[in-house]
Formats: sequence, structure tokens, C-alpha cells
Amino acid sequence: MIPVFLGVAILTFAVGNAAGNPLDLIRAGLRNPSPQVIEALRQYYHLDRPVYERFLLWFGELLQGNLGVSQSGRPVAQQIGAWAFTTLELQLISLMLAVAIGIPVGVYSAKKQYSNADYAITSVAIFGYSMPTFWLGIMLIILFSFYLGWLPSSGAEGISFFWWGNPILDQLAHLVLPVTVLTYVTLAAIVRLVRANMLEVLRQDYILAARSSGLSDRTVTYRYALRNAISPVVTLVGLSFGAALGGAPATETTFSWPGLGYAFAQAALNLDIPLVQGITVVITIMVLVANLITDMAYVALDPRVRID
Amino acid sequence: MGERTIRRRSASQWAVAWRRFRRNKSALAGSSIVVFFLVVAIVGPYLAPYPARSYEALYAGEAGEPPSWKHPFGVEQSGIDVFSEVIHGTRNDLYVGLAASILTTLIGVALGAVGGYFKGLVGDIVLGITQVFFVIPVLLLILLFARVFSVLVFKGLGLTLIVLILAFFGWSSVSFIVRGETLKIKEMEFVQAARSLGASSWRLLFRHIVPNILSPVIVITTLNIAGFILTEVVVSFLGFGDANTSTWGLILNEGFSYMRTEWWVPLFPGLAVVFCVLGFNLMGDGLSDALNPRLRE
Repeated sequence: MIPVFLGVAILTFAVGNAAGNPLDLIRAGLRNPSPQVIEALRQYYHLDRPVYERFLLWFGELLQGNLGVSQSGRPVAQQIGAWAFTTLELQLISLMLAVAIGIPVGVYSAKKQYSNADYAITSVAIFGYSMPTFWLGIMLIILFSFYLGWLPSSGAEGISFFWWGNPILDQLAHLVLPVTVLTYVTLAAIVRLVRANMLEVLRQDYILAARSSGLSDRTVTYRYALRNAISPVVTLVGLSFGAALGGAPATETTFSWPGLGYAFAQAALNLDIPLVQGITVVITIMVLVANLITDMAYVALDPRVRID
Repeated sequence: MGERTIRRRSASQWAVAWRRFRRNKSALAGSSIVVFFLVVAIVGPYLAPYPARSYEALYAGEAGEPPSWKHPFGVEQSGIDVFSEVIHGTRNDLYVGLAASILTTLIGVALGAVGGYFKGLVGDIVLGITQVFFVIPVLLLILLFARVFSVLVFKGLGLTLIVLILAFFGWSSVSFIVRGETLKIKEMEFVQAARSLGASSWRLLFRHIVPNILSPVIVITTLNIAGFILTEVVVSFLGFGDANTSTWGLILNEGFSYMRTEWWVPLFPGLAVVFCVLGFNLMGDGLSDALNPRLRE
């Protein structure tokens, strides 16, 4: 975890200094930044020191949670909090739905291998991971927001009026399309992996033994087979969470979702270097925490890992 | 036992794989899609009705028109014919996908083989770097690098800059696979035999070990093409690509602004992406099945 964090810090620092120093980049993105912002950043980046000292000082600030100020002059750390919350809201709901739907569907598909249902499920799944997430979002917006007018097309909540007439329903309505898109894409990967693992496990001798000792089909499938097929799926869920967070710029921009990804895309286009560095670091921490949780879940689920 | 039985050569590994691949319907479908897109990429730009990034339809007063016989995929608000643009984009997107994937494979095989073969400090360092690149939020860094380098450092590299950035951040999965296979194969008897005959480490690595891990490398290279095309589409869609080169992502970027009224602008390039990526994915899955010696059927 520490080398990863350090690696990201080095890469984000390096790109910020690729043209000499971050202030040049900030000036290239914003014609006339205010003198106060420039002065604050000059101090924050310690521009009077040599590069390696600048890195160490900047890294020290980072560890203390000081992320500098953005082009607007506001502290980056303050701005990121609210975005992180909206991003996690969207990502966690989608992830839970994808797991809840993906595992039973994958199991069903494996049990009915080569049936029509299996072909249908695998086809829908392969489209899911061949599709740019944001493009599916655009198509759904065109259909459900513009053509049918059922759902809002952008944002996390209504500003001038409440969709479906009630503040809570309004928030739900704003979640429907982004959650659908994100769920489908993660779901596709989960279904594919669960199916493949189940197919392998269902051929094992101990499954035959369990069946022949008269256990119900349900018990054999879920308690004997799935238990052994699930470990790689846990890893995949951790990885997809990381991928979804990393992919947030595209999905969140499509839905104008006020989260880290949308903010990142805007900030990177404007070359707001402190903001971009801050968001990258925060997303990295989220990914690392997700990986840690995944590893712990892996150990809890698979006793074989515990031995060594 | 006649002489005939002895002389008959057993089918090579590649012949067996090809036979398996040919029987796999979805793999064939995938390859056909891939061939179709390759043909479009090679000859398409010469046959496209309009040149790349051309606003001609604007002067004909046809800007923003829905699909018609003259403009099968419709026209953008700015007067760009979407059909021609999708064709020009095919060449550029395939270039990005293929070039980035091949570069990635070269980096990944070299680092994976070295990291798996050499124990001790070298192996640990390579493994550490690979793990860092595997976990970091790659897309964020790709966007950031693309933006910073295109603005200030390497102006005018165009798509090649995107290729280099994609490869720089994309090699870790290849490296992991190659490392795992190298660890397995270096303990095998034929490697020990070669070593006891005095073969050097580099000779062992690149003459004996690497040729034996080609199958998984071919599969991951094919699947990576799909992945890099998707990433390029995201990069261009968000406005971080080369604004002077036609790519599917760039049309999607322009279509996004007018999606309320002009559904055809985002629809058709998106379909091109989906089918092209689907083709490479199906082909990669088919290759994976065909080259896997453990599958009995």
C-alpha cells in the first residue's frame, strides 16, 4: 500500500512539474489567476527550493492533509469532501446492486450451460464490457430524459423543481440512470466470472459426492459450489470498485454528477494542478482502502489462504 | 507398427489451436468483425464521402440534418458528416489500439520475464513497480498526462502521444501474466537442461522461456486492443485527446453537447466502438479457449 501511495505521489508531482513548475501550468490553464492564489501556491509548492526538496516538502504537506488551494482560491481539502460523498453514494449503490444481481445470475447461467437463457445472459454480459460506460449513459439520457421525459438527465438533485414532486423521490430519480449504467457494466464482469468459476467447480468430484449423498440441489449449488467459486469474484469486486472510481470522470461528466470524477475532468481541463493532485490522491486512498477490505474478505471467505 | 505410423508427425500446438478456433462460432464472429474494421481502416478513408474534419455540409446548408441517403449517419451541428468521420475515426482508433497494445506487450513481456526470472533485488523491484502500476487509478493519470503534455511539453505529437501514455500506464497486466508463467516454466526440466549446457541467463530467458509463454501473451494482447480503444474513446470524449484528429471519442465529445436534439451524432460512433471492441473481445476469448491446453473439448 505504501509503495502505491508513494508511486502515485511521485507521478502526480512529476506531471505537475513536467513544464518546470506547477505555476506555469496553472497560468496556461487560467489566463489571470489572482495574485493571492499565486502567492499561496508559491509557498505551498516551495518554489524557491530545488526539485527534490520541493517533492519532500509537498509530500509532507500531503500527509498532513494540506492539499493547497485551487485556482478559485479555496482550499482543495475543503472542496473534496462533498464530492467524495456523492461519488461514494453512486459507486457503492451500484456495486451492491451489481453483486446482488450478478452472483445469482452467474450461478443460474452456469447451471443451465448452453441453454437459451445462458446464451442470452452471456450475450448481454459481453456487450456490457465491450461498451463505453458513458455512451450507454448518453443513450439512456436521450431515451428516458429527452424522448420519454421520465427521468432527469443531469445532476444529483433538482434545483428549480423536484422531479416526481418530492425531495426524496427527486434524489432517487436522479440516481436511477447513473446507477443503472454503472451497475450494468460491473454486473457484466461479475456474471462472466461467476459463470466461469462455477462451471469449473461444478465439474469437481466433491460436488458429485455431495449430490449422491442426497443433498438438495440448492444446498449443493450455494453451500458447496458457490462457496468455492466465490473467492476470485471478491477480488474482482475490489478491482471493479477501483476501476469504477478511476472511470468516474467519464460517467460523472455524462450525468453532470457533482462528484470527484466530474470535478477531476473539469480541473484537469483547466490545469488546476492542486485540485487535480488532491483528487488523484483521495481516489488512490479510496482504491487502496477498497483493496484492503477485499483482501480481508478474501481471507474470511477462503480458509485455504489463512494457512500461509 | 508400420513405418507410416512412425513417420506421421503429430499436429503442432498451433495447428491444434487453429482447428479449435475455427470450430468456435463466437470466435469466428469476432474475427470477422475485426477483419471488417481492419478493411474499413485501410481502405475506408479513400472511399469516405468527405475528408476528415471537413465542414463541407455546412456550406451546402445541411448542418444538423438527421440521417438520410446523402448522409447515412446524419450531420453534426458544425457541418461534419458523421458517416465519413466514423470511417476516418476507425483508422485512428485502430492505430491507437494496436500500437498501444503492441508497445504494452513489449514492455510487459520484458519486465515480466526479467522480474520472474531473476530472484532477489531485481525481481523485487520489478514486482514492486508492477504492483504500483496495477493498483493506481490509471485513467486519472492518463487524462492528466495527456492534458499536461499536449499543452506544454510535447505539442503536436497528436495521437502518438496518447499511444505512448496508454502504453506507459497499461503494461502491468501483461507483466503479471508473463511473470507468473516465467516462474512456472523456469523450473521445468528443459530449462535446466539448457542451463546445464551452459546457456546464459538472457539466452534462457528470451530463447527458451519467452517462446513458451506466447499463448497467454497473444490472448492478453488481443484483449488489450479492445481495452485501449475503450480508453482512447474516454480520453477523447472528455476532451483530452487530439482535437485535430478524427476519432470516435471526438465525435462523441461533439455529439454530447447536442444530444438533446441530435441523437444520431452520439449514436453511430458509439455503435462503432461497441462492435469493434466486441470483435476484439470475442476474438481474444476464442484465442484463450483455443490456446488453452487444459480444455478437453
